[in-house]
Amino acid sequence: MELKALRSQRKSSFWGQIIPYLPYVMQSGVAVVLLLLFIVFSAWYTSFLKAMPPDLPVQWILLILLGPLTVYSGFRTYIQPADVIFLLPQETKMKEYFSPVYFSGVIYKLLALYFVTLTAWPMVVRSGEAALPLWAMLVILLALKSLSAYGAWQELRITTSRARTGYRLLRWCFILLMLAAWIWQLAWWKSLLFMLLLSVNYILALRFPMKHTVAWENLIASERSGAARALMILGWFVEVPAEGQKVIRRRWLSLAGNRTPWRRSTAYRYLLIKTFVRSELLGIIVRLALLGMLLIYWTGHSWMGIAVYIFFIFITGTQLTALRFVHRDSPAASYYPIMPGIRMKEVLRFISRLLFVLTFILWLPLLFISVAGRGDWLLSSAGLAAGLLLVLILRLAWSKKWSAIENED
Amino acid sequence: MSETPVLQVEELSGGYSLGRPVLHDVEFEVQPGEMVGLIGLNGAGKSTTMKHILGLMTPHRGGVVVQGKTRDESPEAYQSSLAFVPESPLLYEELTVREHLEFAARAYNVGQSDYLQRSERLLKLFNMEEKADSLSMHLSKGMKQKVMIMCAFVARPPLYIIDEPFLGLDPLGIRSLLDFMLEMKQSGSSILLSSHILSTIENYCDRFIVLHQGKVIAQGTLHQIAQQANMPGASLENIFYSLVKDGE
Repeated sequence: MELKALRSQRKSSFWGQIIPYLPYVMQSGVAVVLLLLFIVFSAWYTSFLKAMPPDLPVQWILLILLGPLTVYSGFRTYIQPADVIFLLPQETKMKEYFSPVYFSGVIYKLLALYFVTLTAWPMVVRSGEAALPLWAMLVILLALKSLSAYGAWQELRITTSRARTGYRLLRWCFILLMLAAWIWQLAWWKSLLFMLLLSVNYILALRFPMKHTVAWENLIASERSGAARALMILGWFVEVPAEGQKVIRRRWLSLAGNRTPWRRSTAYRYLLIKTFVRSELLGIIVRLALLGMLLIYWTGHSWMGIAVYIFFIFITGTQLTALRFVHRDSPAASYYPIMPGIRMKEVLRFISRLLFVLTFILWLPLLFISVAGRGDWLLSSAGLAAGLLLVLILRLAWSKKWSAIENED
Repeated sequence: MSETPVLQVEELSGGYSLGRPVLHDVEFEVQPGEMVGLIGLNGAGKSTTMKHILGLMTPHRGGVVVQGKTRDESPEAYQSSLAFVPESPLLYEELTVREHLEFAARAYNVGQSDYLQRSERLLKLFNMEEKADSLSMHLSKGMKQKVMIMCAFVARPPLYIIDEPFLGLDPLGIRSLLDFMLEMKQSGSSILLSSHILSTIENYCDRFIVLHQGKVIAQGTLHQIAQQANMPGASLENIFYSLVKDGE
């Protein structure tokens, strides 16, 4: 089979497994809540644009919104472990297989980036910061996104993990710097020249490290975590297995879970805590909490701050439910005497406690605004109460739903 | 007078589909302090038998009793009475070697001080001290197999079910495993062991069960199965060859 056709067949096969779940996603409560939140956001954003504060740091907002989306690059290669045996002899022809991978990796993420840019652009126009037209911004974003994707692809080929980490850091710095240079431009040609020089330097820097022709093992690992991530997102809405998540060592958290009471009944809790601290989910939750705190801080002086606060509690809780699928289908679990029911009980306990803590952490910006005299104490207290109530409601809903599913099983 | 068997497999028939059973009326026992070798060709039903014992598969007919109890009667006591070492190591990628041992100890209700003592000894015995704090995903296949074996031995249940334990192990690992199995046996634990390395297990197992096409075609001590094969004094390998050849 031709390599291009093989990749295409694998892609269809993967999405063929996902698409049947989409009607259930549409029917799920989470999708409805997200839709409602989208409507509320649209209403708020329209009114916000009408009465936009004059000192709004639009350039910083643009950088924070567009920066990560511009830099982030990932590729779905659909490479499988057996390819090391069967496709390795065709290594020199693999360009045929990987070309569409690269383009899909750029196009879909670029669409998301453009969507956010177009949403944010009215804010830029009203602030009077738009020195150059929108089309110029879109062209620059396309160039930066392509450069970042090229860098990310080269990183996958680098032989040592230390060099890969270093180059990833370099890519973040270079792309963010170039984006900032465009957003804060004094004269468009100066920014453009600066960006060109930086790009040339970055591309030259990428030539130094040792690289594989095809980094099979990195590609297999990244494909595995890419597929697991897609399933994890689907898992927010419907029941799907979630094995194969990327594991991150995080030595500084290696003591987490060690103080779990030494009892048979808490053995699964020990495994769950260890799993969580080494999962991608922890990173997602931390990033979400930081973003939430920032947005809550910006909007915290009005009722919108409370809405954003509630939204982030809800979305964080939804993300945490991915833990329910962890080890669920792992055969290893059946080799240890973990009794039925314990797994669900421990997941529910862990998620609700963690969400409870996050509710307080996310509330800190509201507290800070009230202490600084820029917000209403009553409003922030009501927000906290509503947040805690939401945690209780979510806990009850999860407990009811999961018990019903376990009983069916 | 014989003691109560640790494991009783009674007229077990089972498999992956109801119409096509893999096992046909398999029946055997494992006594306390006994090491029993389960031998057979590929596809004879060894792993399927083990899966039925573990409760991963439901028998079509017959049953399995561990320490006098079936899995339905007392799932917790049943599961805690046995530890399994599968043919292919199955570990949690998120846990280090030491954390696997700790998780196994917690799950089997091993006391904390016993766990510390046992884990240190096992890490030393299997030459895994340097890898104790490595994530399991970074281990070689042989090392992963050692972790599976150590997890079973840190638990110290009355019955060990060990499927092809020598695959991927280095010679020192094989020797350590055999010595430790003997030690466990002497302390009263029972072991049901499946392996194709007949020359090795010949000297270590008390009895053998020969499975062929899902049926027990011979069982007993080396002497007894030699008589069943009409080959007195022959090696296990030769006896086995003769039995399965006749069974064709």
